[in-house]
Amino acid sequence: MSGPGVSPGGAGEPSAPVELAEVPPLGASLRRGVRSSATAAVRRDRSLTPFDLPDVRLAARGLTTDPVCLTDYQHLVGATASDDLPAGFVHVLAFPLTTALMVRDDFPLPLLGMVHLANTVTQHRPVRLGEALDVEVHAERLSAHHRGVSVDLVAEVAVAGEPVWRGVSTYLAKGYSLAGESAERADRPEWLAPTPTGVWRLPADLGRRYAAVSGDHNPIHTQVLAAKAFGFPRTIAHGMYTAARALAEIGAPSAFTWTAEFFAPLTLPGTASVAIAKDGDGGTLDAWGKRHHLHVEVTPA
Amino acid sequence: MAAAQRRPVVVGGNRTPFARAGGAYARSSNRDLLTAALDGLVARFGLAGERLGEVAAGAVLKHSRDFNLTRESVLGSALANDTPAYDVQMACATGMETVMSLSDKIRLGRVDVAVAGGVDSASDAPIVVSEPMRAALLELNRAKTTSAKLKALAKIRPSHLSPVAPDVAEPRTGLSMGEHQALTTAQWGISREDQDALALASHQRLAAAYEDGFFDDLITPYRGLVRDANLRPDTSMEKLGALKPVFGKRLDTPATMTAGNSTPLTDGAATVLLADQAWAAARGLPALAEVVDAEAGAVDFVHGKDGLLMAPAFAVPRLLARHGMKLGDFEIVEIHEAFASTVLATLKAWEDEDFGRDRLGLDGAFGSVDRDRLNVHGSSLAAGHPFAATGGRIVATAAKELARRGSGARGLVSVCAAGGQGVVAILEAV
Repeated sequence: MSGPGVSPGGAGEPSAPVELAEVPPLGASLRRGVRSSATAAVRRDRSLTPFDLPDVRLAARGLTTDPVCLTDYQHLVGATASDDLPAGFVHVLAFPLTTALMVRDDFPLPLLGMVHLANTVTQHRPVRLGEALDVEVHAERLSAHHRGVSVDLVAEVAVAGEPVWRGVSTYLAKGYSLAGESAERADRPEWLAPTPTGVWRLPADLGRRYAAVSGDHNPIHTQVLAAKAFGFPRTIAHGMYTAARALAEIGAPSAFTWTAEFFAPLTLPGTASVAIAKDGDGGTLDAWGKRHHLHVEVTPA
Repeated sequence: MAAAQRRPVVVGGNRTPFARAGGAYARSSNRDLLTAALDGLVARFGLAGERLGEVAAGAVLKHSRDFNLTRESVLGSALANDTPAYDVQMACATGMETVMSLSDKIRLGRVDVAVAGGVDSASDAPIVVSEPMRAALLELNRAKTTSAKLKALAKIRPSHLSPVAPDVAEPRTGLSMGEHQALTTAQWGISREDQDALALASHQRLAAAYEDGFFDDLITPYRGLVRDANLRPDTSMEKLGALKPVFGKRLDTPATMTAGNSTPLTDGAATVLLADQAWAAARGLPALAEVVDAEAGAVDFVHGKDGLLMAPAFAVPRLLARHGMKLGDFEIVEIHEAFASTVLATLKAWEDEDFGRDRLGLDGAFGSVDRDRLNVHGSSLAAGHPFAATGGRIVATAAKELARRGSGARGLVSVCAAGGQGVVAILEAV
């Protein structure tokens, strides 16, 4: 808990990062997340203050890429299997550190059941296979949302001191509230489905397959019972799978911003219409079925 | 006549380092490797976002899902998506066939610029189910009722479950390529020492070319590999001599073919940028060598008349006769080292009076190749041999070497292939 006079995480002077000798394995973090989420579930007090984010930055230095994992990831999301790491794969590399931050005792929201609302990645240049990555993560912008409280998890990646990649993942914890703040449901203009350019056929085991290449074994993606427990009829596709596939299908130059908004989850197995609209070296992709599932945008830098 | 002035030239090449099967590219597909080689070529010659005339490539070991392998690779590459592409399959001569046909199209004026190439992955080879299994699965797919489905499933026996791995056996003879070559080795009396010496020279020359930086603008590293994994710079006659023979053990002549003087199963891809000379000049791109002419050949190995890999021994004399050339007119001669004894048997046939007279219809022997001009930067024994990629590797290497030697320098390229075929070509420095 931050004391009086301390700014909300990320807004003031950055704290010195906590260097981790090794990245905590995702499995252990997830198990820890399950326990703390269960504790949180029985806790009645779900009101937070904007100052409740831990003022902490976790850092890991010299992360390297296993070419086999890279190839498997590229194959699954349909990316060209080049020695340039897809921007979504860098997210995967940073994800264990982000998760380690979210399962700390001083992190105010439960890991499980959080909804991935949006993701923004800025890539300054491609990360090459073989480069050692320094990753630093922190949380910021604890904000009121009409369904709860949202938070941004920020991961920054550098190669030998040169910033190359920055990712911001916005998650929602449903049923929480932020003292003194409220948010009305933002009016989204009615979305009219364009003429599709293709279709995504997502197999039943897609959640397990993306879990295998990303390490994100969140049970809402891999186990039907767990998915039902969180209110989904079946398992749902990882948001970052859909965003990564969209990035691969839109295409991107070497420096770009890649944003994804996840409006409604894609249940598995499932089929969605997609429409790509190219705009120079970037463009957009929308996926929809009965509902508009996601909007992804690639903007050249 | 404008068309008559068109000259198809090799602008340059790019390939992946070649990996041993199960090595650095164990998880990489043909499409991955071909795209990597293409993207390296695109980067080297500043072609990102460009629409090229055509891209032709192929693979020998090919998944059915890769039905449009080359087009899919283009779509995954930095080339413009409106670049047409097609697949070619002529066994180990696939790469040479793409060079030959695209050069012809350039000469005809049908395209100005094209990419030839090939790829193979012995690691990611397709596995096929047994014939009874396949029949049952197809029937299952057609079945509409539950009882019909169960009936189809009931036809599957445990013995049908074992998959059929690809091999390099000739369908009509049942002999593997190595076993076929062992027959040729025995027929021409090629010694173990000569084979090992050729393998040693291949490794030494390839290693020297790497040391000189010769491949710096012909290869783009991939998946952590920067050199051909098969290269053994420190190999020796002693080390090669210690290897046990693997082919020809059922013949009554001594078995001489080892893992050292035969090519290993390899993964890799190679591409060659071909263009009309004027197109290259307008772009400020180099013109290394003109593709002067090429010839495909085939032999009747099925009835044992000629060795499986001897087609170039016939195709080269035909090609040279068309141009009034002889072997001595070539500064470099590239003969694909499928096996050391393939090269040696070809050379021996050309030096043989009877073969020249009886088989080639000449007055005597066709001629001989100065060993100093043969495979000057090593060849497949050292680099490895991802079947369809070999033609592209050799053409790019030869074109660069000819350009170094100066205008008018001629090179002969010969690649043999399964099915008793081969493609040979004449290159000449611009």
